[in-house]
Amino acid sequence: MKIPMKSLHKIVFALLLGFSSIASAETIEMDVNGLVCAFCAQGIEKTLKAFPATESVFVSLEHRIVAIKLKDDADIDDATLRKAIIDAGYAVVAIRRTENSLESIRTRVSRRD
Amino acid sequence: MYSYKHWAAVALLGTLPVAATAKPIAFAKGTTVMAEYGAGTMNEAQLFYAPRYWYSLGGGWLELESEEGTKQRRITYVRGNLLAKRWNLPGAQANIFVWGGLGQATGNDFSGSTSSRNAGFQADYETRRVYSSLRSDLHESDEFSHRIDTIQVGWAPYAHDYDDLATWVVVQGRDYTGGLYRGTEVALLVRLFKGRTWVEFGATADGNLQAMAMVNF
Repeated sequence: MKIPMKSLHKIVFALLLGFSSIASAETIEMDVNGLVCAFCAQGIEKTLKAFPATESVFVSLEHRIVAIKLKDDADIDDATLRKAIIDAGYAVVAIRRTENSLESIRTRVSRRD
Repeated sequence: MYSYKHWAAVALLGTLPVAATAKPIAFAKGTTVMAEYGAGTMNEAQLFYAPRYWYSLGGGWLELESEEGTKQRRITYVRGNLLAKRWNLPGAQANIFVWGGLGQATGNDFSGSTSSRNAGFQADYETRRVYSSLRSDLHESDEFSHRIDTIQVGWAPYAHDYDDLATWVVVQGRDYTGGLYRGTEVALLVRLFKGRTWVEFGATADGNLQAMAMVNF
């Protein structure tokens, strides 16, 4: 079977795009409503740390942010994250994927204090 | 002069590592252990496990004693707690919890033990600086009926974050029915929590110790 060159380009591009989105998604940052106390943060942290893809978790009550550092070449899709936060009893407002490290997020929010 | 119960409560608090809302459900797959010394009128210990964030199961032990010491109750119960409604707001959370259970009680004005029922609710609203809750807890049997209504209003002098020690000043009013206490028992409390542990201590207007400790894991 002969694959036209134009289609082959599209397939390669799609594969590269898919690969790059996984490889670059080092950190996931979520805006979460209802975060008011350490117990809230503890519940969310416990839930997210249970994912095999999670390396570490950062929670800021002040900025209502939950951030996850992923293990190399690992990912957690948005639907799974949204379900995890809802199952922990909280509301997800937004999910962002970034190449920033957890430490840089921590520094950024502490500068905003 | 403080009784052995006062010192037992203080010792219990001292065994826990230092830690805004005492909730019957902390978080999914979490266990909550709580002990309260309520100014000599009530002492309570509870243990609950929450398979999901919206319900928990467990039990407790409650001791009630009237001001004059003429009425004493000791109730052991199993209980289910349900989060009936939660509002997750930007920077705030509000909840309505309900619960029900069954127990076994003894007392000094009836013989033997009797089956008891427990039902109650809690409504709370919390930000990182302001806290309020209303709680009503009914324990009754064929021999007695006691409802403990507690209102708390709290204020935090600073907004804490996850890794910080949270400090709250709380004013508590508590009413007991069934001849346990005349009027409203008012207490001023300091609440500290960090991570998974919380302690609360203070005194009532009568000068009695009021203390509570809770740990979630």
